[in-house]
Amino acid sequence: MHRETQTQPPFDESLLSGYLDGELTQGEAQRVRVHLEDHPESRRLFEEMAAMRDAALSTRLPVPDDDQWDPAPRGPFSRLSRRMGWLLVLVWGAATAVLAVRGWWTADAPWTVKAVGVLVVGGPLLLLLSVLADRLKVMKTDRYRRVQK
Amino acid sequence: MDAGALAMTIGQVGGADLVVLAKDGDRDALDELARQCRPKAYGFALQLLRNREDALDVTQDALVSFFDHLDRFDESRQIDPWLLSIVRNQAYDFLRRRKVRAAESLEELLERGAPLPVGQRPAALDRVERDELRSRLWRALGRLSQEHREILVLRDYQDLSYLEIADVLGIPKGTVMSRLHRARKALRELLIDDPEASHDDAP
Repeated sequence: MHRETQTQPPFDESLLSGYLDGELTQGEAQRVRVHLEDHPESRRLFEEMAAMRDAALSTRLPVPDDDQWDPAPRGPFSRLSRRMGWLLVLVWGAATAVLAVRGWWTADAPWTVKAVGVLVVGGPLLLLLSVLADRLKVMKTDRYRRVQK
Repeated sequence: MDAGALAMTIGQVGGADLVVLAKDGDRDALDELARQCRPKAYGFALQLLRNREDALDVTQDALVSFFDHLDRFDESRQIDPWLLSIVRNQAYDFLRRRKVRAAESLEELLERGAPLPVGQRPAALDRVERDELRSRLWRALGRLSQEHREILVLRDYQDLSYLEIADVLGIPKGTVMSRLHRARKALRELLIDDPEASHDDAP
């Protein structure tokens, strides 16, 4: 006899998982107990899920030895100095680029030399842009794009 | 206080207090926090990537990120969900960027693992049956979708509560139970269809 169907909405089967994990309220747990008494199929499913969970919980995966791990984590001073270092490198890089472009523009050199300069810089720049364009295209179909960074 | 005594004291300090000490730059606290975080982070990465070397690479990167952003961590939160969400992001980033190595079987992984302590060793027959079920679970997990695998691992291997799982995955707590149940049913189906299992084995 299916007692709960006469007075309550249809049984939500996912409550079985909540019951197994001890995540239900007292009322919900009571409803599951009654349901399990009346439904052998649900009882079988519940017992199989419990067996799977017990086997999973008792699995002990090996952890690499201490000597396989990187050295100890960096402290606050080390992190700050690393960030400052990167900032200074970026500022230096930007200043150098600006000076180089300015020097190229104002240099008293023949246009042929300047054209060679454009080709030398333009090649890698085009490659970089094509890689960026490809990455943007891939991002649209990326199956993990919803994962928060 | 000498170094040994200090290390022992640090070893007895739990989650939030340890983070406070580590944030202040306490060297022993940083070491102890790293020691406590490694098994959880590595276990989760291993379950997601199915290969020891990939898992080690990802865990190293995740721990660097974890410690680099430690000053932003709110001590009123649990450490595990925060750590595991970083591992998850690193693992998916890894899957996006690199070709993963071949998946390893549970037997291969346990070859180098330490045996269970004597008190935890089940009787011989139980052990054979349990080992068989664990191997089948491992194979079936590898065939599950990422969405189902990650939620099952967080609950059944990492032993996180629904609230903590919701925190790691960035979904409402109410969604955790229904998704987890679908994942368990999918896993059960895969166990039944396991081509490498003997046919008289039920899940």
